[in-house]
Amino acid sequence: MHLYRKAIENWFEQLTKLVYKKRLTTIFLILALVGAIASNLPNLKIDTETEGFLHENDPTRKVYNEFRDQFGRDELIVLALHPKDVFDITFLSKLQTLHKELEDSVPHLDDVTSLINARNTRGEGDQLIVEDLLENFPQSQNDITELRERVLSNPLYRNTMISEDGKFTTLIIKTSAFAPSDNTGDMLGGFEDTKTPEIGTAPKRKFLSAEDNRETVNKVKEIIAKYKSPDFPILIAGSPVMTNDLKAAMMKDMQKFMKLLVVIIAISLYALFRRKTGVLIPLIIVILSLLSTLGLMALFGAAIKLPTQILPSFLLAVGVGASVHVLALFFKEFDHGKSEEEAVVFAMGHSGIPIFMTSLTTAVGLASFATAEVAPIADLGLFAGIGVMFSLLYTIVLIPALISILPVSRKSTENEIERHAFMDGILRKTADFATGNAKAILSVSGVIIVLSLISASGIRFSHNPMAWFPKTWEIRKATTEIDTNMRGTTSLEVILDTGKENGLHDVEFLNKLQNMEDRFSKLDRGELFVGKVITLVDMLKEINKALNENRSDFYKVPQDRQLIAQELLLFENSGSDDLEDIVDSQFSKVRFTMKLPWIDSVAYSRFIKEVEAEFENEFKGLATVEVTGLATLLGRTLGAAVTSAGKSYLIAFAMITIMMILLVGDIRIGLYSMIPNLFPIVVALGIMIPFGMPLDLFTMLIGSIALGLAVDDTVHFMHNFRKYYHEKEDVSDAVRRSLHTAGRAMLVTTIVLSTGFFIFMFASMNNLFNFGFLTGLTIIMALVADFLIAPALMKVIDKPGAGYDN
Amino acid sequence: MTTKPYEYSKGESVMKKAISLQRFQTPLYLAAFFALPMLLGYPAASHAETAAEIMQKVEDRDEGDNSIAEMEMVLIDKRGNERIRKIKSFTKFKGKDRQRIMFFLHPADVKGTGFLTYDYDDQKVDDDQWLYLPALRKSKRIASSDKDGSFMGSDLTYADMTSRNLGDYEFKLIKEDAVEGKPVWIIESNPNERAIEETGYTKSILFVRKDNYVVIRGKHWVKDGNKEKYLDVKKLEQIDGIWVTTEIHVTTKKGKNTLHKTVLNFSNVKYNQNFPEDIFTIRNLEKGL
Repeated sequence: MHLYRKAIENWFEQLTKLVYKKRLTTIFLILALVGAIASNLPNLKIDTETEGFLHENDPTRKVYNEFRDQFGRDELIVLALHPKDVFDITFLSKLQTLHKELEDSVPHLDDVTSLINARNTRGEGDQLIVEDLLENFPQSQNDITELRERVLSNPLYRNTMISEDGKFTTLIIKTSAFAPSDNTGDMLGGFEDTKTPEIGTAPKRKFLSAEDNRETVNKVKEIIAKYKSPDFPILIAGSPVMTNDLKAAMMKDMQKFMKLLVVIIAISLYALFRRKTGVLIPLIIVILSLLSTLGLMALFGAAIKLPTQILPSFLLAVGVGASVHVLALFFKEFDHGKSEEEAVVFAMGHSGIPIFMTSLTTAVGLASFATAEVAPIADLGLFAGIGVMFSLLYTIVLIPALISILPVSRKSTENEIERHAFMDGILRKTADFATGNAKAILSVSGVIIVLSLISASGIRFSHNPMAWFPKTWEIRKATTEIDTNMRGTTSLEVILDTGKENGLHDVEFLNKLQNMEDRFSKLDRGELFVGKVITLVDMLKEINKALNENRSDFYKVPQDRQLIAQELLLFENSGSDDLEDIVDSQFSKVRFTMKLPWIDSVAYSRFIKEVEAEFENEFKGLATVEVTGLATLLGRTLGAAVTSAGKSYLIAFAMITIMMILLVGDIRIGLYSMIPNLFPIVVALGIMIPFGMPLDLFTMLIGSIALGLAVDDTVHFMHNFRKYYHEKEDVSDAVRRSLHTAGRAMLVTTIVLSTGFFIFMFASMNNLFNFGFLTGLTIIMALVADFLIAPALMKVIDKPGAGYDN
Repeated sequence: MTTKPYEYSKGESVMKKAISLQRFQTPLYLAAFFALPMLLGYPAASHAETAAEIMQKVEDRDEGDNSIAEMEMVLIDKRGNERIRKIKSFTKFKGKDRQRIMFFLHPADVKGTGFLTYDYDDQKVDDDQWLYLPALRKSKRIASSDKDGSFMGSDLTYADMTSRNLGDYEFKLIKEDAVEGKPVWIIESNPNERAIEETGYTKSILFVRKDNYVVIRGKHWVKDGNKEKYLDVKKLEQIDGIWVTTEIHVTTKKGKNTLHKTVLNFSNVKYNQNFPEDIFTIRNLEKGL
């Protein structure tokens, strides 16, 4: 083990010598590599779509895509208006103008629905009237009274176009599910390829992209800005708006963080080294690593998504660590009179193994996410892991090369010793305190761990992108208000497939559909409620009533298969294309839409299971049941996150334990050294409960990330400790010398790293606040654990004379 | 032959008489189905005709007095699933007003469902329509002004089938070409606001056969949803000396993607059958075939 280590150290020294001499070639090669990868950067995509959380081949996403392909996009932009009086000619005519303008100028539009064009099918005497609600615009107070009566009495409009109290009205903007396809081309052409599509082969079409969505949302916002006034207040919500606003907030935050972090890193580095090179070299290394990683993401088509947004700041903070350790040693040796080359060769030889091990453990901690079922978490794990390895590579080759070409100023050792005396004093006292009070430290730590575990058992899961916005943000306020007054802004979809043409004409089937509508439309459990059910029976009842002189006792499903078929034919023929959104062209599948408020996915998950079970039970033998819609994506994301996080923790823990054992060369000591690594994570979990922080997509990351980072301090400590212990077999001496050598670099990297995460507390979004706060805290606790718990452990388990290697 | 644009000027006596113009909107499937026979004639091709003159000739054909036809519609969705509907129709002209009654033959659940329509030549008068649902045993008058909705679930709209005013359009001859060996004029038709509102089409391209003035292809730009609709006459037959389009494919596309398609097949097309006048009454609608 010892010889092996010596050989690796020697290899690092030789490599450094080589690079130091071939400095220009090295720099050229690295720049060429970075340039080649970074040239892909313009293709880097940003994606905040809800389905983007899941892999493209995720079963839930597949069902959802199938659904969108058949019935169109379920994500709607909802505009809610709350004027003094909805039934007022001035208001209605302004609403009409707005409606028209939206219809004419919003891109990627499928449909705008409001009171203006609400389907109004009714019977008057022997007449069947099929028209838009405001086709004949009200002219007098009489018309208005009649209109109010008609609107408020129509169950179809309630909670879709008008609130129960008649005070809110909405404009629903449905966008196309698909990205626009090339329309230009031969004006006279297009006849040739009008072949009949093969049965069962849905054409491959691209769904609407985040960019298309942005165009739509921005246009809508631009238009409503013109109309908005105290008499004409407009709220805007709906998931297309949410994803768009998330994206905007994310882009702003990312840029802000990167700038801020570079400044913080520069200041910390200057405080430590007091030299321009000490600031410049690490910064060059981390920036090149970041460019390479993002370039690689672009090359592989991995978009920046909500969780991946932490990647740039993460790489900046983490990448600095290795170079700080090497440079700290280099400057020390250099100031003591060694030549540049001697100093850098020594520093690299001495730190080669620990920086390699720390980078590897960090990368493993991250890579443990690579198989996650939540797509952006897998991307984050994979690419951040690669990014860490990029910064390791650049640290190893660029430090010698850059030192070789940059002028390095030498500081007098006396000054440096004096400057560091205070710090060194503290470190020595810490070391002595740890070894002197080993048992007490371990007992207190034990108590903290137990308390944290008890607290952590009450952890709650959460996934709710809306809660990421601060409460004061427009979109969140609007969503709450619309959820309250219009009873919902999102939906859960159930698709029933009878498997046969005209299967929907079946009386028994439709009666059961009506049963389900009755059962679910009454559901109200406080936070979770169904604001409205929309399905085929509503249209059928509407037309049945209209055909029977508008008598309300005919607002029911006809109990005659032929009448059902004929009424549906009539509906299909009435000029309304609303059926297309609800049934397939074969009348074999039907959509059952439940309007839901925007709440946490935990609640959706439970509700989805319940809905699935109830429908399965009701339609056994009649139809197959599939539950889909945005809520299922959110629910599935949460479920996937929980399983993935658990799996990732286990992988990271196992891999890192093995690596620790390899590093110290002793199974027992290796296992013991995992205690200071786990300590901060357990404490972080314990802290989340009193602070009311849930385990969500972001806080779940902390475990593996912090484990990978916490290990770094342990690696540096154990590496030095082992070395010094080997010389004297005196634990207290070895601890003192370890902290003296590596302690200062550990402290600085901890400051840089924790700051790198603490700045997320300035994010616009709440989820990042929690993530930043907890990770920063975990990193600080990791240092505390390595300064106190690790030495105490070594003291307690020490068997004088036994040694480690022999 | 050189091609130059032929501008249509409104002053040109396009509207010698107001005519129903659906032939240029939907090439001729209506000819068989709704008694709009094509006059088999040999157009004077001695001088270059303007686009407006061509369209006038398309319109000026004798439409016959009455007809009977059966139509099968194969409705094909974007996944290739098919539904078949069969309808029998009787059509008669009363002056310039058209009366028509049609009954569903297939599928079985809707058999006997009937529609009776009076399509008035006068643009200002709304068409009258009644329907009869046998399962309801009641006929109802339908009041609807929505013309760009689908006709019986097909890719055709009601607007495709009702009278329109030639004066609402500007025609431009953009090219002379051949389709499957037959020389055609390719004419661009630009509707005014009123016609756009009614038909939902913002522009059309029509392929008119030079030998018989039959529109054998049409491409319409649909305002709603930014789609295009293609009409393609696959079979043209002479029945009782009249050119009849007996197979037509109508396809709605968005860009390159087919959204829906209708294949129309006409059979048992008969002209001048002398059926009784009172066939176009509500009583007869309720009585059925």
